[in-house]
Amino acid sequence: MRRFWPWMTLLLGGWLLIYSGCGSRTDSGSAQTSGPGDEPSISANEPEPLPPLEPFDPPPLHELEAKVEWIDRPVRDAMKLRREYDAAHPAPISVQEALALRNTSAENNEKILLTLGKLPTDDNQVNWDATVNRRLTMDVKRTNPLFFSSVSEGEVSSLIGFGLFSIDWNLEPFAAAEHVVEWKTSKDGLYDLVVMRDDLTWSDGYPITAHDVAFSFQVIMDSKVGPHIPAIRSGTEELRWVQAYDDRTVVFFHKEPLATNVWNIMFPVIPEHIYKDSYRDDPQMSTSPYHQELELNPISGGPYKIVKRERGREIVLEAREDYYIYKGKQVREKPYIKRVRFKIVEDNNTALLALEKGDLDESMLGAAQWQAQTNSDAFYAKNTKVSGPEWTFFYFGWNMNTPYFNDVRVRRAMSYAFNHKEMLDDLCYGLYQPCLGIFAPDSWMAPKKRPMQYQQDLDKAEDLLDEAGWVDSDGDGIRDKEVNGKRIKFEFDILVSNKPDRIAICNLLRENLESIGIICHVRPLEAAVMQERMFKKEFVAAFSGWGAGADPSTSDNIWKTGAPRNFVGFSNKEVDDLFKQGEREFDREKRAEIYGRIAEIIYDEQPYTFLYNMSSFYGFNKQLRGYMFSPRGPFGYSPGFGSVWVTK
Amino acid sequence: MTSHPGDHKQPHGESPERPGDEALPRQAPEDAAGLGAAIESEAATSGPEVVGFSVPAPAAEPQEPIERDVPRGYWAEAWLRFRRRRLAMTALLFVVFLALVAIFSPAIVGTKPIVCKYKGEIYFPCLGYFNRSWENAIFTKDRFRNVYAGNLKEKDPESWAIWPLIYQDPERRVREGEWPAQPANPTRNYGSPNRYNLFGTTPAGVDVFAIMVHGTRIALLVGFVSMGIAAAIGITLGALAGYFRGWVDALISRLIEIVMCVPTLVLILALIAVLPKITIWHLMAAIGLTGWTSIARLTRAEFIKLREADFVSAAKALGAGPSRIMFRHILRNAMAPVLVPITFGIASAILIEGGLSFLGFGPPPPTPSWGRILAEGQQNNTMWWLIVFPGLAIFLTVLAYNLIGEGLQEATDPRLREAGR
Repeated sequence: MRRFWPWMTLLLGGWLLIYSGCGSRTDSGSAQTSGPGDEPSISANEPEPLPPLEPFDPPPLHELEAKVEWIDRPVRDAMKLRREYDAAHPAPISVQEALALRNTSAENNEKILLTLGKLPTDDNQVNWDATVNRRLTMDVKRTNPLFFSSVSEGEVSSLIGFGLFSIDWNLEPFAAAEHVVEWKTSKDGLYDLVVMRDDLTWSDGYPITAHDVAFSFQVIMDSKVGPHIPAIRSGTEELRWVQAYDDRTVVFFHKEPLATNVWNIMFPVIPEHIYKDSYRDDPQMSTSPYHQELELNPISGGPYKIVKRERGREIVLEAREDYYIYKGKQVREKPYIKRVRFKIVEDNNTALLALEKGDLDESMLGAAQWQAQTNSDAFYAKNTKVSGPEWTFFYFGWNMNTPYFNDVRVRRAMSYAFNHKEMLDDLCYGLYQPCLGIFAPDSWMAPKKRPMQYQQDLDKAEDLLDEAGWVDSDGDGIRDKEVNGKRIKFEFDILVSNKPDRIAICNLLRENLESIGIICHVRPLEAAVMQERMFKKEFVAAFSGWGAGADPSTSDNIWKTGAPRNFVGFSNKEVDDLFKQGEREFDREKRAEIYGRIAEIIYDEQPYTFLYNMSSFYGFNKQLRGYMFSPRGPFGYSPGFGSVWVTK
Repeated sequence: MTSHPGDHKQPHGESPERPGDEALPRQAPEDAAGLGAAIESEAATSGPEVVGFSVPAPAAEPQEPIERDVPRGYWAEAWLRFRRRRLAMTALLFVVFLALVAIFSPAIVGTKPIVCKYKGEIYFPCLGYFNRSWENAIFTKDRFRNVYAGNLKEKDPESWAIWPLIYQDPERRVREGEWPAQPANPTRNYGSPNRYNLFGTTPAGVDVFAIMVHGTRIALLVGFVSMGIAAAIGITLGALAGYFRGWVDALISRLIEIVMCVPTLVLILALIAVLPKITIWHLMAAIGLTGWTSIARLTRAEFIKLREADFVSAAKALGAGPSRIMFRHILRNAMAPVLVPITFGIASAILIEGGLSFLGFGPPPPTPSWGRILAEGQQNNTMWWLIVFPGLAIFLTVLAYNLIGEGLQEATDPRLREAGR
């Protein structure tokens, strides 16, 4: 639990698809996906096998050492980083004051976060026997870290999975000091060498070795397993080979010296002795009785292990003593929390009631809940609430392969037609910032020049539509245009996940468009159905969102021509080239320029009508301390949940 | 003499000229007039009560049993019995009231003029609430942007308009400056009931009263259309099974049993997953296509009973074909018991629609639906007005249909009728 396990960064580092409204992200888990093939509805049939990995004959280590010049890379202890952060940011008020404070302003929010977010200064403050009840918005389908696809699975996997790398709250990558002794990269950027610690064990007592890492790479690159895990695979594709030279030394061979190689070496690690004989016959690793048993009782490499699992209800994790004690000696920090009970609560309101009752200790809150339902004494009796900005944005996506939206003027007209102000102030409770492009405005990769913010201007929208040839020629009140010799009406469906707050935003769009002679039907769909239709590109317009990637390069699978998650069919040669350049550029300043340019081009083309950047809103039990927000929420980094503790 | 089932049931019946002659039109004129008067008096007393959604029935004048020695048709007799049941009558009036609200909804609340004169022509923009294509294109062309108030005068000073009673819209928020001295609808959770929003507003600022009034159309439509489909299927199949017996009966009975096993809600959820576009009509079709079994069974039972009756034999003897016998002679005498499951079916159809909308599978916005307000209320549990008003409306409507069904049952079933005495 100490660490946010690094391989997650790859997955979360890929941009997550979130079908969520401004109100809540409660079910985003069901829709967040790491790749097109993760949903069983999509991969119901055995997919086409991918080409097998070309054999590779790695040079002996001494040869490699002789010819390569190494640069040391950071090996950090995330908890130490957190303590340094605490020391640099003293608590502005006392704990008692913070507990009594109502979170009514940004100032109060910061006070509460800085005060209650502190790590314990003394071990006696900590209730070492605590159970924390956490909320999952949906059940965990898979416990095998290779197959993790939803946020729920990510939360669980981050506690039971094993990895070599991690990211901090600024999304900077590093090797985790609990697992790694040394990490170095060759000067030419073609090799990464990692020396692991020798006191690591799986929960079944076997040591975790470099061979497990190399084996995991082989499994991911297996021609039959690969199609089931496209997201992880898209990173490892860039690797040529992973070689374990002894139990502790592993070398990653890159195909090209890319700036993004650091993300490509972050993949989940599974135990070789468990899976080496079984994965070939059952590439989904879930159908054979042997794998089913493993799904129920997975071998853990992280600080926790699953002790109880009730489908649809809860998953109970317990701290592994053999994780922090090796041969009778404490080698790693003891997790602050002994037991973690993940309760599956889909509904936001039920979660809020459970929080008030004390049945849950933490929960994500919707915008409406944050604003209206969490100001009472009943809420503050046991809880407090905090928020932090997140790199998550929402948009209306316009399918550019349809006759309606292949013209940039029409897409701009859509952005002019929409009443952004009412959405931000009223439908989103004034809690969110307008979205001005694919990167969060405060991130380093966002363009330096603030782009023009679209405001509703119906006259401009109508003029643009007239210009694009969409006029009401038959006098029925609906715009039409001749396309390929056929006159078509401007009438389309917008897909939206089935939540009232999201539907309300689409309904506002519908109203706005109707007033300028365009008929838009709001089609609320179940998240899974909607996801499938977006992946199959069977839609004209859709309301959806993207979560942040740790590195801007990860968004190439949304914007490059023909990329799997390029649902709207965006295609721009300059953007394609810039993404390639960005991968090869190592200088942060220059990369920022490249990605800023990409953001500018995309914003100018308006394949999306960019709506708003979401923040995370959380309610925490007053007993809980040590939480802090990153651009990916309170747990999506290292130490994340590892720094949370319970007072006595 | 040919016999007629109506005759069986009324001892003083005249013998008709033709077998199976219409029972209903044979009411004595004064009887009909009396009925009309009774309806009026009922309406006068209970009408306003219903408007205010208060449940207790009016303390109406004591109903004297009307016992006249005038020959009455079977239906007239049933109607008489039904009228005596005060609760059932109140329920019927409530449904009539809802129907009126549904028909005149655009005139009650709306932002589109009922009638207006614009650039020398008369238009009825309010029809756009029924069907968008009935709204005249000229207003879109002239960039009215769905706001008539203000624009009308601005673009044609000569124009005039008759407006609905309340200026609110079921499909969108009313904004500042649209209507003189009317503020913008409150949004978020601030929209508690007030002068301008009688039942409050949704978080998006849409008037709940407007949605409720226009939602009446959906509620009633769902009930009537789905049960219309169900009745058409159920009666036809039931009649065939009951009349022909034999293998036809066996086949249809098995079909009934199979269809009874299909859970409506699950079927609809499956349909939603399969069909690319789901509309309210699909829902009605699904409810109708699964809800006909009890109607078919009752019809079949009635037909089995009546096919042996003398008047059927007589009709046969006169050379009437099976379809004529079935639908002209037997059916009208079998209708009464069949009406009962239809009425109950309407109630359950309304409940299903409400439930689906609540779950988010109902008609998508902007179609106004009671169930969807409830769903929004569930998301925002401090906004009581999102729960109370639509909840009450669904409750009362379903209750009304059930009371009518029960009233019908007792009014048309001779055994119950005797017991009720």
